[in-house]
Amino acid sequence: MRALRAGLPAAVLMLLALFILLPLAQTFLLSFLATLPHEGVEKGTWGLVNYRNVLATPALVASIGNSAVYVTLNVALCLGAALPAAYALSRYEFLGDRHFLFLLLAFRATPPVVLSLPIFILFSRFGLVNSPVGIALVHCLFNLPIAIWILETFISAVPRALDETAFLDGHSLCSFFLRHLIPAIAPGIGVAAFFCFLFSWVEVVFARILTVTAGKPITMAINALFTFQTDVGLVMAMTVVSLLPGLGMIWFVRNHIARGFALRA
Amino acid sequence: MTTRPYRNAAWLLMLPAALLMAVVGVVPLVAVFNYSLHDIFSLRDVLWVGAEWYGEIVTSPRFHASLLRSLMFSAVVLAVQVPLGVGIALVLRRTGRWAVLGLMLVALPLVVPWNLIGPMWLGLVNAETGLVGQALGALGIGFDWKFTALHTWILLVAMDTWHWIGLVVILSYAGLSGVAPEAYRAAAIDGASRLAVFRFIEVPRLAPALGIVLLLRFVDSFMIYTEAFAINAGGPDMATHFLAIDLGEEIKAFNYGSAAARSMVYFLIVITVIWAFARLRAAGGRE
Repeated sequence: MRALRAGLPAAVLMLLALFILLPLAQTFLLSFLATLPHEGVEKGTWGLVNYRNVLATPALVASIGNSAVYVTLNVALCLGAALPAAYALSRYEFLGDRHFLFLLLAFRATPPVVLSLPIFILFSRFGLVNSPVGIALVHCLFNLPIAIWILETFISAVPRALDETAFLDGHSLCSFFLRHLIPAIAPGIGVAAFFCFLFSWVEVVFARILTVTAGKPITMAINALFTFQTDVGLVMAMTVVSLLPGLGMIWFVRNHIARGFALRA
Repeated sequence: MTTRPYRNAAWLLMLPAALLMAVVGVVPLVAVFNYSLHDIFSLRDVLWVGAEWYGEIVTSPRFHASLLRSLMFSAVVLAVQVPLGVGIALVLRRTGRWAVLGLMLVALPLVVPWNLIGPMWLGLVNAETGLVGQALGALGIGFDWKFTALHTWILLVAMDTWHWIGLVVILSYAGLSGVAPEAYRAAAIDGASRLAVFRFIEVPRLAPALGIVLLLRFVDSFMIYTEAFAINAGGPDMATHFLAIDLGEEIKAFNYGSAAARSMVYFLIVITVIWAFARLRAAGGRE
């Protein structure tokens, strides 16, 4: 019985690893296989040919940059707007605070397809189609609620005495944020940035409709690779490339990832 | 819990967030509502039709069938993912420093772009080249996701579980972190069974996290589009034709008025669920 108890977690972890890694392993393996004949490389040989082709295709390289720009912009926008809002929600009660929270939840839950049409018409009127600013803005729809939620959790864990002493010391709200609050909730900012990055990086509905002729993100660049004779190896290599920033972010927040969601009952 | 001071000036701090939500949320939503009352041939050629689209949609058997399928899918997804995710979180809590590794592992599928998940899984179950497809073939199990509805469903649920189990585990794990070690020790002294520990110590701590998990997993699976479309485009024979796929078809066919009405119907369904959820939570909080 005791041996069974000790063995159970290990067995569960192994099964879990198998389930999670299998699809990724398939992708990873195929990314090193030449699935179409290329110059000097026969079909079916293993090597780095697909990755060389990624680098040699300007549209693919450019798409990595496009994605990076709007995702970074979105994370900055979300954190900048969420930090004061989360502070207000954590420290004060005010008219309509509960309704605002409900509104946030509602918009996080609204499927992008529902709003895609008016967003396109609205944004094309303001010249925000084909621009990273447009995608960065619209991704706030689901990322801002998440950022506010996570930051509010972390700020609520900071004792209010920190604010009071800082204000007694003559700090303005702005310098209190910069000098005291932000350092105190640094892991929270990391976790919020991680989830904003994550959901912006993987989103495709808005990213597709807002890039008609230019500024194609990495997801759409991969979509464009599917033709009547798809180079599966190239698709898989590009997929692996698209995972790398996410893997880096996971490593970056690994010790705090589950801490952002302690809930105020 | 100390009470928070009442100060309406706090709205100044909410201003940037409120402004952003107005631009990307409220304004487009009002626009959708406006479109839904019109027949739109082009942006200059618009005819008022009132609630005609709504009547057409809510009485069409096709809508009822899609609604039923989407509800079924959400029910299966929740029934599979919530117990599995909570179970994994409970196990991870007992693995000490391995827990971080486990959390990193389940977070991996979350960083995969949504339009690549479908092709990734199709590659996996491909009978000639896929790791799972070949294994199933060797075992003599015919897996025909293209033409057998049950197999398409199995593939979709497996894929969705792979994709989202990380969120369930991370949120459950966070909820369980709130259980004080003393509570476990006290339970051990009282000789409480594992089941009793789960029921009376862990579940109360898990409840708020589980509420959010249920809500997020419900709305996201209820409106599944990109991944489901990639697998079988709603087939075989409409067996995986979910609500969002109906909407996608209508937008592609430029039926803007009708698509907008459909969007509003979906939005109302989702908002009703959230409202009920918020009421339940408020009621639970007062106890």
